[in-house]
Amino acid sequence: MSSASTGTGHLVRLILRRDRVQLPLWIVGLGGMIASSALAVPGVYNTPEKVAGYAASVGASPVSHLMSGRQAAIDTIGGITANEVSQVAQLGVCLMVMFQVVRHTRTEEETGRAELLRSTVLGRHAATLAALGYAVFTALLIGCITAGTMLAAGLAATGSLNYGVGLTLLGICYAAVALVAAQLSTSARGALGIAGTAIAAGYLVRGLGAMQDNALVWLSPFGWAQLMNAFGAERWWPALLLAVATAGLLSLAGYLTAHRDFGGGLVQPRPGHPRGTRALGTSFGLALRLQRGTLIGWAVGLFVLALIYGAVIPTIPDLVKSNPDIGKYIGVSADAEQELIDAFLRYIHLFMAVVSTAFAVSSVLRLRSEEESGRAELVLSTGVSRTAWVAATAAVAGLGALGLTLLMGIGLALGYGLGMGQWNQVAAQVAGQLAYLPGVLVVAAFAVAVAGLLPRRSLLAWLLVAAVFFQTMLGETLRLPNAVDAVSPFWHLPGVPDEPFDLSPGLVELLIAAALIMIGVWGYRRRDLASN
Amino acid sequence: MGCAVQLNDLVKTFGAVRALDGLNLEVRIGEVHGFLGPNGAGKSTTIRVLLGLLRHDSGSARILDSDPWKDAAGLHRRVAYVPGDVNLWPNLTGGEVIDLLGRMRGGLDERKRTDLLERFELDPSKKARTYSKGNRQKVAVVAAFASNAELYLLDEPTSGLDPLMEAEFQRCVHEAKAEGATVLLSSHILAEAEALSDRISIIKHGIVVQSGTLAELRHLTRTTVIAQTASPSTRMVDVPGVHNPQFQDGRVAFDVDSDHLDGAVAALSSLGIRSLTAHPPTLEELFLRQYGEDVATSAHGDVA
Repeated sequence: MSSASTGTGHLVRLILRRDRVQLPLWIVGLGGMIASSALAVPGVYNTPEKVAGYAASVGASPVSHLMSGRQAAIDTIGGITANEVSQVAQLGVCLMVMFQVVRHTRTEEETGRAELLRSTVLGRHAATLAALGYAVFTALLIGCITAGTMLAAGLAATGSLNYGVGLTLLGICYAAVALVAAQLSTSARGALGIAGTAIAAGYLVRGLGAMQDNALVWLSPFGWAQLMNAFGAERWWPALLLAVATAGLLSLAGYLTAHRDFGGGLVQPRPGHPRGTRALGTSFGLALRLQRGTLIGWAVGLFVLALIYGAVIPTIPDLVKSNPDIGKYIGVSADAEQELIDAFLRYIHLFMAVVSTAFAVSSVLRLRSEEESGRAELVLSTGVSRTAWVAATAAVAGLGALGLTLLMGIGLALGYGLGMGQWNQVAAQVAGQLAYLPGVLVVAAFAVAVAGLLPRRSLLAWLLVAAVFFQTMLGETLRLPNAVDAVSPFWHLPGVPDEPFDLSPGLVELLIAAALIMIGVWGYRRRDLASN
Repeated sequence: MGCAVQLNDLVKTFGAVRALDGLNLEVRIGEVHGFLGPNGAGKSTTIRVLLGLLRHDSGSARILDSDPWKDAAGLHRRVAYVPGDVNLWPNLTGGEVIDLLGRMRGGLDERKRTDLLERFELDPSKKARTYSKGNRQKVAVVAAFASNAELYLLDEPTSGLDPLMEAEFQRCVHEAKAEGATVLLSSHILAEAEALSDRISIIKHGIVVQSGTLAELRHLTRTTVIAQTASPSTRMVDVPGVHNPQFQDGRVAFDVDSDHLDGAVAALSSLGIRSLTAHPPTLEELFLRQYGEDVATSAHGDVA
C-alpha cells in the first residue's frame, strides 16, 4: 500500500539526523533567551510600586505597543513577564520554523537531493508532512519551555499554559505559511523572502493595531495569540483562529504540491539579461550586484522602522504629562519636553545603528560564503587581486552601512515631520544617526579581520554582534562593569543631540576599523583559499 | 622552446596529508599537455597552486615567467581557467557571468563569445540557478575560450558535457593551440587526453611518475600481440620479454616489452604465423600499469 504520505516517517528521521546539532542549538538558544528573561522578571519587579511603574511606563508606551503589542494584565507580574518575553519568543519561534521548513522542503528540491529521495517509495506529500511534523515538534518544545519557565517563576498555571499554547500555535501557523511559500517559489531564497515578508507583515499589522488600539490586531496571527489574554481575562477561542488559518494554509500547500511539477513553482524564474552591464565587470560591481537584493530589503525595512519611530514622537510628551512616573523612570522631568524627545531620539539612533550592524556583518561574511562555494576561486582566477576582492566586499558593506544610516536619519526626520508638523529635522536626525556609524564600521571591520585571518571562525563576528546587542539592550539595566560595556564600540560614542558632542571617539574608532580591515586583507592575502 | 609552466620539486601539505610530494612538471609554450591521474592524485591541487589560490610549501613554481603566488592578479590577465566543479552565482545569468569573468580578465573577444555561445548551444539569458551541471560547465568553458588567453588551465573541463559538446570542446582546444596558446588539460578521461595532447604527464600520489610524448611513453611499455601459429605456441613462455602469455583455441596472446619485440616476433615466425595482430599500448594500459599495481596497498590519503 502506498499513499501520498508514504515514507513520511523515514523523512522525519532523516531530518532529525541532519539537524542533530542545529535543532539543539535553536532550542537551547531561543529557549534559553526566553527562559532567562522570564525568570528574571519577578526579581526586577519585586515591589507593587515597580510593577505599577512598569504598567504606567512601558505598558502605556506606543513604542512598546508597536514592538510587543498590548499585553493583557500589564499591571501584574504575569502580564509583565508575557510582555517582556513576547518579542523574542514570538519572532523567534516564527523565524525558527520558517528556516526549518524551507531548509527541509524547497532547499532540498532546489539542490536536487529531494529528487534522489522522490525516486524511492515516497508519497507526494511526504516531504511537506515531514517538515510540518518537525516544525510542530520544535514549536511545541519552545512552547513547553516557555510555559514551564513561567510556572517555575511562580506564575499562574492557567496563564502559563495559555501563553504556551498561543506561542506554539503561532509557530505552527507560520510553519504552514512557510510551507505555502516553499511551493510558490522555485528557490529557497525566494521562499524565505515570501515567508519572511509574511512574518514581518503579521508583526507590523499587530503592532500598528496595538498602537492605535483598533481592530487591526484581529488581522494578524501575532494578534490572535496575544488576544488569548494570558494572565488576564483568559479566553481560548482565538486559538481556533490560529488553528483554522493553519488548516487553510496547509490545504493550500497540499493543493499546490499536487498541482505543480517537481522543482517547479508558481513564481517562474524570469529570463535575465544575456549581457552583463559595464558596472558588473569590476570586483566592486560584482560585490554590489550580489548584495543588491539584501541591501534593498534592509533599506526598506529600516526606513519604515525609522519612519514609525519618528511618527510616535508627539505622543511622548503627552504621555509624560499625563503620567509623571514615566518622566521619573527615564530621569527627565515632564516640563523638559525637548529633553525628553532628545533622550528618546538618542535611544532610537543607537538601537537602529545596532540593528544595522547585522546587515554589515552578513554583508562582509559574503567573503566566506563566496570562498566556500568556490565562486571566489572563479573571481580570483581572473585579473582581480585578493586585496581588491576583500576591499570590494568591505566597501559594499561600509557604503551600504552609510546608506542605511542616511536613510534611517531621513526616515526618522520624515516621521518626525509627519507627527510634529516640523520638517526641519533632516540635518539633525542624519547627524544623530551618523554619530553611531563608526561603531557599525568597527563591528563590520572586525568581521573582515575574522574572514581574512580565521575563516573557520566566522561565528566570532556574530558573537560580537550579539555582545553589542546585549550591552545596548541590557547594559544599563544589569549595571554591567565598564570593562564589559567597553566591548561594544557604541558604548564609547557620544549620543547626539542630548550628550555633548565629541569627535575623537568616532575618529579613533574609524582608525581601529581601518586597522582591522588591513589585518583582514593581510590574512586573506597570505593563506590558502579554501577549496571545496 | 620556452616553458609556460615549470614546477620543480613542488610540495604542498594539508595538515598531515602530503598532497604534492616533490612534483616536477614542465609544459612547453604552444603545446597541449595532458595531465593525467585518478581522483585524489593531486591534479586540482597542482592547478590551484598554478593559479596562486594555494601557496606551496617548498620547491619552485613559475608560470609564464612569473611567480603564481606573488604576481597572481597580473598573471591572470594572460591565463584562463575552467574548474572541474563549476559553481556560479544563482541570481546572475550565464551571459552576465561570461561578461563578468571576461572583463575581470581584461576583456573578451566579442566575435568568439557569440560564436562559442552558438556552438555550445547555451542560452545566456537563463539564471545560473536554473542551469544543469553541464550548462554551468559550458559557461566556464565559453568564458575561458572567449578570452584570447596565452595559457589555459583546464581542470577536468568536460566532466559534465555530453559527447557532442565534448567534441566541440576538443575543437576549441585545437583552435587555441593553432593560435599559439598553451594548454594544460587535467583529466581522467584517457581518450580525451590521447586525442588532444602533444605530451602527457601522469601523476600519482602527488608526484609525476611519467612524462613525455605518447610515443615516448609507449616506448617504455609493452605491446600486445595476438597470434595464431602452425605449431603449438607453448614455448613462447620462455621467450625473454614476454609477459602474461595466454593460450586459447590455438591462439596465443601476450604482452611484450618494446625492446624485445623483435625477438618475440622472430620466435613466433619460427612457429609459422597464420594470423597476427599487434597494437601499441593504449593510454588505458599505460594508466593501468601505473595504478593497477598498488591500488590495494596505497596508504596515501586522498586529496582532490
